Amino acid sequence: MNTPLLHASSLVLRYGSTTALAGVDLVINEGESVAIMGASGSGKTSLLHCLSGILRPDGGTVRFAGPTGPVDLSTLSDGERSRLRREAFGFVFQQGLLVPELTAVENAALPLLLSGYARRDAEARAAAWLGALGLRGLEERRIGELSGGQAQRVAIARAQVGGATLIFADEPTGALDSATSVDVMDALLRSTVGQGHTLVVVTHDEKVAARCSRVVRLTDGQIVSDSAGPVPPRAAVPAPGAFAGPSPVTTAVAHVAATDGPAFGGAGWEAGR
Amino acid sequence: MSTIAPPTPTAAPTASRPSGRAPIARLAWMLTRPGAASPATVALPIVAFAVTTALLLIVLGGVLMFWQRTDVNAEAFKLLSLLALALLIVPLATLGGAAARLSARRRDDRLATLRLLGATTGTVTLVTVVESTVLAFLGALAGVVLYAVSMPLVGLIPFDGGPIGPTAIWTGPLPILAVVVGVALLAAVSSVIGLRAVVVSPLGVRLRQRAPHTSWLRLLAGVVIVAVAYGTLSSLGVITDVAILVVALVGAFAASVAVLGLVGPFALSVFAKVRLRRAKTAEQLISARGILESPKAAWRLVGGVAMTSFVAVVAGTGTALLESFSAQSSADAIFIADIRTGVLITLVASFTMVACSVGVGQAAAVLDRRDLYVSLDRVGMPVATMDRARVRSVMLPLVFVAVGSALLGALLVFPLAGLALIVAPLSLLVIGICFVLGLALVRLSLLATRPILTNVLAHPERSLG
Repeated sequence: MNTPLLHASSLVLRYGSTTALAGVDLVINEGESVAIMGASGSGKTSLLHCLSGILRPDGGTVRFAGPTGPVDLSTLSDGERSRLRREAFGFVFQQGLLVPELTAVENAALPLLLSGYARRDAEARAAAWLGALGLRGLEERRIGELSGGQAQRVAIARAQVGGATLIFADEPTGALDSATSVDVMDALLRSTVGQGHTLVVVTHDEKVAARCSRVVRLTDGQIVSDSAGPVPPRAAVPAPGAFAGPSPVTTAVAHVAATDGPAFGGAGWEAGR
Repeated sequence: MSTIAPPTPTAAPTASRPSGRAPIARLAWMLTRPGAASPATVALPIVAFAVTTALLLIVLGGVLMFWQRTDVNAEAFKLLSLLALALLIVPLATLGGAAARLSARRRDDRLATLRLLGATTGTVTLVTVVESTVLAFLGALAGVVLYAVSMPLVGLIPFDGGPIGPTAIWTGPLPILAVVVGVALLAAVSSVIGLRAVVVSPLGVRLRQRAPHTSWLRLLAGVVIVAVAYGTLSSLGVITDVAILVVALVGAFAASVAVLGLVGPFALSVFAKVRLRRAKTAEQLISARGILESPKAAWRLVGGVAMTSFVAVVAGTGTALLESFSAQSSADAIFIADIRTGVLITLVASFTMVACSVGVGQAAAVLDRRDLYVSLDRVGMPVATMDRARVRSVMLPLVFVAVGSALLGALLVFPLAGLALIVAPLSLLVIGICFVLGLALVRLSLLATRPILTNVLAHPERSLG
């Protein structure tokens, strides 16, 4: 059953006189893995930034069906969007962009620390994630002592340790060789959509896109093809109603799963390289 | 099907035939001119070199001033000025290094592009050297102006019963020329030996290397030397001659200062490990790990303050006592007051240099970690947390070494310090105020680099795209 999670309508984004997004409509459903593709300058990263609340669009709305009710990202303040990114979304960037002085487990635990978790709990949960992603035994390594693929797995753990069910990835395999890319994409897909979570990936790599359940292609800031078909005319995620509380932003406690770590794993996960 | 025809070359004037040589000066100018680089890229190294040059000239002028004295205390002052110079040389070198590193590591992307376009490694190196040297030279010239402007202010410092006067620390044209050339050379050499590749952390340290081990043997050696110094200082009471007293004090200081250098990095790493274990928040964790990344680099930054703090307490106590006992002889009183003034100036100067190094180092660190800060912002880390981590990674070691060395100093002269506290509380209060001012100065320089961080976050398109 398709449950809409994120609904962008008529998104417009401009950088000075350049139009990066020219009226984008997109509905992302729970449990989907959506690849956003396009040439350089087509607006794919801009779209990701608007969908995830990093950028506020110049026109249009982005509605997110949060655990405590629908939220319109475009009306939230910077601080509220920052909190939403920290507590409801996960991010994986092209190059892990982890804090180099911290160990793998400390990097993965960072979002939990920022949300006020006790360090011991945060690191235990992060270690469970690292273990499930095939990094058992590497918890105390510093980032400079990890390979590119391993660092990217730490980034994947960091993105989800807070219980985020919507993960945004910007060229997650862009800096890796092809064999490592396959492994990292495996880890990313199994830890997200494998758990019924949602993944939005910006990529220029057809092989990465082929592994996603849906491919959206952009040209000049507009969607030119969508393997799921056109957006239905009716708003998929309802607008935040009057019943919504004064602070629609979710809290960490509200959506973090009660379990102490990832609910996946198995023999295949131990073979991380 | 149409083919795309290459554009017909216009008749090129014969004079513009390629020479095969890269126009180094032209390339350097293209990369450095206003508008080509962000203002901070060019302004920061210039400011850093200007501050380094100005402080270097002020210190040099101060030392030369004492060496031109011909009165009865001239020899003692020469000795003391050398001691002050020895104490200031480490923080000054750290500042110079930070400035050189800042200018040498500029615009790697542009240089990489040049290489892609076919420039040879030699061309790229030469462009970097020319650029760093020119920036350093401009900064040094600005530093001379800064020095000249600050001379009247420094001239207010009282020595020998009155202000030293606005031209007292004037070094003359030759030393100024030597300093300007020296600073430019420092920048040139730094860029040649490839400091560009250095990754700078919040403390200005190299990354991606194993944290070095520091040995317990150093601690043991330190304890032994401190015990000997303590014995020497305890028997100072029998010495009545001021000159011999000064020599004994200087000897004991020198040994203890050496101990600080020996034990400092080790003490800092132990301190950071304790902090790491106790860390509860993200900023506590990041700052403790930052210090542990290289305790030696952390020590280089704050070590100067450790030594001057130590000397300030020991010498401050000594002079406070002597002053209250020898009030009947005005010549001795002035001499002792001068020593105390010198101690305070050295203390403030070393804090000033640390503040400048921190400002320069932090500016470079924030720019170097632009991508990291932007990504942390995107995953929802508040700016306040990033800033607190930065501030803690500098202020914690600084307060630790300043207070630690001051306490070590107080311990060495324990009976005297207790006595001074009773008979000359005002003198000790002045030293205390200098400490607080020094710490505030460093905190201010961190505050001054915060806009760089907020600016980086406000323009993320310059980094991650």
